[in-house]
Amino acid sequence: MSVLDFFHWCEQSGIGNAIRQSSWLFPVIEAIHLLGLGIIGGAVLVVDLRLLGLGLRRQSAAQLARDAQPWLIGSLLLMIMTGGLLFLSESIKLYYHEAFWFKMASLILAIVFTFTIQRKVILAGEARLSPVWSKVVAVVSILLWSGVGIGGRWIGFS
Amino acid sequence: MRLRFLASLCCLVLALCYLATARPAAPAWGNASRQIQVFSAVSFQTPASQGIGGSLLAFFNRLGDSSWSVGLHESRYAYDLIESVHVWTLCLFFGLAVMFDLRLLGWTMRSVPVSEVSRRLLPWTVVGFIVMVISGTLLFTAIPVRSYQNIFFRTKMIMLLLAGLNVWIFHSGVYRRVATWDVASAPPRAARVAGGLSLVLWVCIVLSGRMIAYNWFDCDHQPQRPIVNFLTSCVPGQSEEH
Repeated sequence: MSVLDFFHWCEQSGIGNAIRQSSWLFPVIEAIHLLGLGIIGGAVLVVDLRLLGLGLRRQSAAQLARDAQPWLIGSLLLMIMTGGLLFLSESIKLYYHEAFWFKMASLILAIVFTFTIQRKVILAGEARLSPVWSKVVAVVSILLWSGVGIGGRWIGFS
Repeated sequence: MRLRFLASLCCLVLALCYLATARPAAPAWGNASRQIQVFSAVSFQTPASQGIGGSLLAFFNRLGDSSWSVGLHESRYAYDLIESVHVWTLCLFFGLAVMFDLRLLGWTMRSVPVSEVSRRLLPWTVVGFIVMVISGTLLFTAIPVRSYQNIFFRTKMIMLLLAGLNVWIFHSGVYRRVATWDVASAPPRAARVAGGLSLVLWVCIVLSGRMIAYNWFDCDHQPQRPIVNFLTSCVPGQSEEH
C-alpha cells in the first residue's frame, strides 16, 4: 500500500465523508484546532521567553517547563486529534499540497526538538548552561513551532 | 526599553501593511473626493440612515468604497498576510493570557507569585493585543459592511467588551490586594472567578472570530429566520451589493 493509497483510504473513510457532508463540522473542528494553536503558543512561549531572559526570570526554566508541560502535551493532543479529523476530510488535497508536507516536517522536528534537545538543555540547569546556548535553543524552538503554524495557515491558501 | 520595543513592533506591522497595500491602492489616491467622503460619511444623507445603526451602516458603506478598503480587499497578498499575522499573534496574546488565567485558577505555575506572572508576562499580552487590534481593524476595513452585519463579528465585539470589563473589574478589585494572596497556590474566589470568566470569554472570542469567515447568516443569504435578520440588522429585499 503506497502513501497515496493510504491517503485515498483516509479520504474514503466514514469520518472523512461525514465531515465533508456536514456544513458545520469542518468549521467547528477547525475553530477548536485554532484554540489548540493559541494554548500551545502560550505553553511554548512561557518556557522560550524564560530561556531568552525576557519572561519570568526569577523562576528556573526547569520549573516553568514542568509547569507548562501538561498544557503543552494536552493542547498538542487536542491539535493532533482535531488535525487528524480535518486531514480525513481532505486527504487527497493535502497529499498534493506542499504546505501539508512542510507542516508535518516542522511538526515532527518541533516535537523531537522540544522533548529531547530542549528538555536536556533545560534540565542541565542554570549553572552549566551558557546564556547564549539557551537563547539559541529558544529561538530554534520558536522557529520550529512557527513553521508548524505557518504551514497550517498556508494550507488554507489554495 | 519595553516601550521602545513595543513602538518599533507596531511601526513594523504598520509598515508591512502599508507596503502590502500600497501598490493596488496607488491609483485611487488621486481620487480626492472619495477620500473626503470617508471622513464625513456620518453626516451624509442615505436612505438607510435611521438611528445609530443606519448611520453606522452608511459609514461602513462609505468605508467599503474607500481606496484603503478596496486596496486591502483586492490586493493579491495583503489580506492573507494580515490575516496570518492576526492568527499568529493568537499565540502571543491568547496563549499568554490563557497562561495567566490558568495561574489565577491555580492550575499552572502554582509556585510562581501572581504579581510576578502579571509583571513579566502581561506586557507581552499587551504587545499581542495591540498587534491584534491593528491587524483586526485592517481586516475589518477590507470588508466593513459584511463584517458589521455578520452575527459572529457582533458576538465577538460584545464578548470583547465583556472581557475588557472583566479585566477592569479584576484590576480595580481583588488584584489591588494581591500582596495578601500573591504566593497562594490557589488565589481567592474573586480572582479565580475573574480568571475563569476571562478564559471562557477569550475562548469564545477565538471561536466566534474563526466563524466570521462563514456566510451561513449573512444578509445576502436569504431567507433567514426573523431573529437572525434582527440580530444582524438586515432588511431582506434591500439591495446588498457588498
